[in-house]
Amino acid sequence: MKNNVKIMRLKMSMTQEQLAKRVGVTRQTIGLIEKGEYNPSLQLCVAIAKELNKTLDDLFWEENLI
Amino acid sequence: MKSWISFLLPDDEYKEKRMLYFFSEGAIILFLSVIIMIICNRIFTINDVEIVLLLFVAIFLLYVSGRYIISGIEYTDIATEHSYKKEIKNIFSRTCSFVVIFMLLYLIFLDIPSNRNEWMEITGLLLSVGIVWFITSFISLRRSYKKNKELL
Repeated sequence: MKNNVKIMRLKMSMTQEQLAKRVGVTRQTIGLIEKGEYNPSLQLCVAIAKELNKTLDDLFWEENLI
Repeated sequence: MKSWISFLLPDDEYKEKRMLYFFSEGAIILFLSVIIMIICNRIFTINDVEIVLLLFVAIFLLYVSGRYIISGIEYTDIATEHSYKKEIKNIFSRTCSFVVIFMLLYLIFLDIPSNRNEWMEITGLLLSVGIVWFITSFISLRRSYKKNKELL
């Protein structure tokens, strides 16, 4: 699933490792989500959105993809 | 989701999902092996039941661990050349420590080999286990490093 996680993370000057630690997953999982190779659970989507100060729509909604 | 198998699964949700797939695939292969063995038993009579049962355990364990090793999900944070080389050294020292500690415990608590053949047996066994352990860890590390580098 395509998403804006990488763009929003870079806008906040955050590394994959930092985001991974904050949401309680591994760096590999964040990398896979950013590449669209893994669809995270709703719980993880919400955790990522909270850390990046964005809504789920901003990150995952097709019409909002950058 | 709570299940009695949870204690065997990692905390990371991606790894957890992959592991569940590996266990499920292993279980189906185990089931098919049992069916094949039942059919074989009707054609050729198998006398050594213990070996056959051990074979099933080996099939399951080899499949699950094999899939885990080649999936590249073991070393999730190794993405740079420096950390990769450092981890190889760690794997090497862990393998050596295991061989030395096992040898010492064997000599202290079990038996001191009395002749050259017994020494060869225990040393050969330990070296083989050590080499297999190192190679599997190395393959897992290599696959993880490659996967992580692509995800940066």
